[in-house]
Amino acid sequence: MENRGYTGNAEPADRKPIGELRGVTKRFGEVLAASDLNLSIAEGEFLSFLGPSGCGKTTALRMLAGFEAPTEGDVLLDGEVVNTLNAHHRPVNMVFQQYALFPHMTVAQNIGYGLRQIRPRIPKAQIAERVSKALDVVRLAGFEDRKIWEMSGGQQQRVALARAIINEPKLLLLDEPMAALDRKLRKEMQIELQDLQRQLGITFVLVTHDQEEALSMSDRICIMREGRIVQIGSPQELYDRPKSRYIADFVGTSNFFNGKLTQLSDELSTVVLDNGMQVQGTVGEGLTGGQDVCISVRPEQMKLNRKGEGLQVAVHNRIFLGEHTEYLVTHETLGDFLVLAPRQAELTEGAFVVGDTATVSWEATAALILDRN
Amino acid sequence: MRLYAICVYLFLYIPIGVIALFSFNAGRHASQLQGFSTKWYGKALSNPFVMDALETSLIVAFCSALCASVFGTMAAVALQGIRGPVRAAFDMLIYVAVMIPGIVIGIATLIGLVTVFDQLNPLIAAIWPNGFEPPKLRMGIGSLIAAHTMFLMALVVIIVRARLAGMDRALTEASSDLYATPMGTFRQVTLPMIFPAILAGFLLSFTFSFDDFIIAFFVAGSETTLPIYVFSSIRRGVTPEINAIGTMVMGVSLFLLISAQLLLQRGGKKSR
Repeated sequence: MENRGYTGNAEPADRKPIGELRGVTKRFGEVLAASDLNLSIAEGEFLSFLGPSGCGKTTALRMLAGFEAPTEGDVLLDGEVVNTLNAHHRPVNMVFQQYALFPHMTVAQNIGYGLRQIRPRIPKAQIAERVSKALDVVRLAGFEDRKIWEMSGGQQQRVALARAIINEPKLLLLDEPMAALDRKLRKEMQIELQDLQRQLGITFVLVTHDQEEALSMSDRICIMREGRIVQIGSPQELYDRPKSRYIADFVGTSNFFNGKLTQLSDELSTVVLDNGMQVQGTVGEGLTGGQDVCISVRPEQMKLNRKGEGLQVAVHNRIFLGEHTEYLVTHETLGDFLVLAPRQAELTEGAFVVGDTATVSWEATAALILDRN
Repeated sequence: MRLYAICVYLFLYIPIGVIALFSFNAGRHASQLQGFSTKWYGKALSNPFVMDALETSLIVAFCSALCASVFGTMAAVALQGIRGPVRAAFDMLIYVAVMIPGIVIGIATLIGLVTVFDQLNPLIAAIWPNGFEPPKLRMGIGSLIAAHTMFLMALVVIIVRARLAGMDRALTEASSDLYATPMGTFRQVTLPMIFPAILAGFLLSFTFSFDDFIIAFFVAGSETTLPIYVFSSIRRGVTPEINAIGTMVMGVSLFLLISAQLLLQRGGKKSR
């Protein structure tokens, strides 16, 4: 199992799985949208599907919602196989990308929609009470009788959230819910969503292409590429121990140098870079000696020195970012790469200016040896 | 170019304007204006033949517009769920149904209905209990409504389909996600959203049925609709009374058409 042995509050093993994908494959005609997805969603966790558009993350979400049936494999909710169970029978609710609020209904009618479908009928007074409670939760108290088009984008999103959480779903599915919001509002909503999730204890499954969004909100992230899950893990884990270059590149920024793995060891392995230089680093899973690999070093792990051991570089560009300064440096044979210097270092040692020569070094353990893909 | 356009419009609208003008003629000749009067309107409305024909026309227009709206909407919703060549075939058939000349529909419906009636009437007579007069299927209001419903349905399908296509699919998905059954989704989400289009389709159908002469002429049997009455009385010369009827029909038609247009525009805006 790929998702075992994680630390911190993202530990799914001691919690009951509420949703599961077992060997799920989905084809649309000739197109393979999702291929052999295996995933277990723990009760109460905040899980994100992260990947570029067309990677199959939305398909995975739609299979959980019941809008698509898997071609192969099983979708489980609360331990039961629900492959062909229609969406209206599933105890799962979704917040749609453009919210999909009913334009011919008021805010209260939208939010109470799910409760009104339940048979035997719930008394009207009770629905009204729960609607106003849900509005309280999303901080829209008193907006009951507003029309949808009178609400701003952020408010509409809260209505969409309230419409979903009022039903106390087993899974709350969020399909790029912030895509339509501007940057500032998005930040606010991210914090609010997290608070809401802790407060309600509902399991959240988010689909996003925004790595920042996924990193800041999720307990676990499931990275997808071309219909496959490439790695599942906590944000720190994905950042510190990416399985491939693709993931290291997708989660945060990193510098990559291509080479060949010459000596494999449990401690530090050796790579001969394309320019003949020998570098040591921690080897990732599933690599064999002699394989074409790349070395990944995060910009903040690199240290820029006036002199001493390390790569001889010329400072090419300097961007002051407040607490950090980002240097673009050029090495004769390795080309351009980024170094992030903390403000503190600059205050004590002085800043570099464009044209300076310097040396770049890093701890051997900070260099990750990864598959090139 | 502008002059040319003006000429075209004059050519189109002068005859209509003249009819409206002469309907207020005080004299009894259609070609000479002799002062203003509304007496021909009164005369038309108190003519029992006119009122009879009007009643028939209204019944036929209302019933066929209603049937066309209901069946057309059902067809449009069903077609929305179909993809591929089957849908393309249906699409083509619907556009063809709108474009086929009325005279073809008229003759085809007449022949079709007569053939079916000829087959059915002996059957009905055979199974009917002895001693009672068996009902006989014949041309009349029923066949008029059937023929009109058929060609108007295609119109409703096109209007409603356009509206359905403009509707966000996420809305029906959201409804189903919120536990509504397919029927519940149709009743609570789809129907309210396409209702303006259905109403517009109804109004257009009503107008087209009310104004139709060609198809009605073939299948009306012994019934007389207003256009048929006008046509037959023209053979006895154009009187200001005919002009008055024409003007009234035109007024009502224009009103319905504009209402339909407004409905389609307003409804379209709301759904975005």
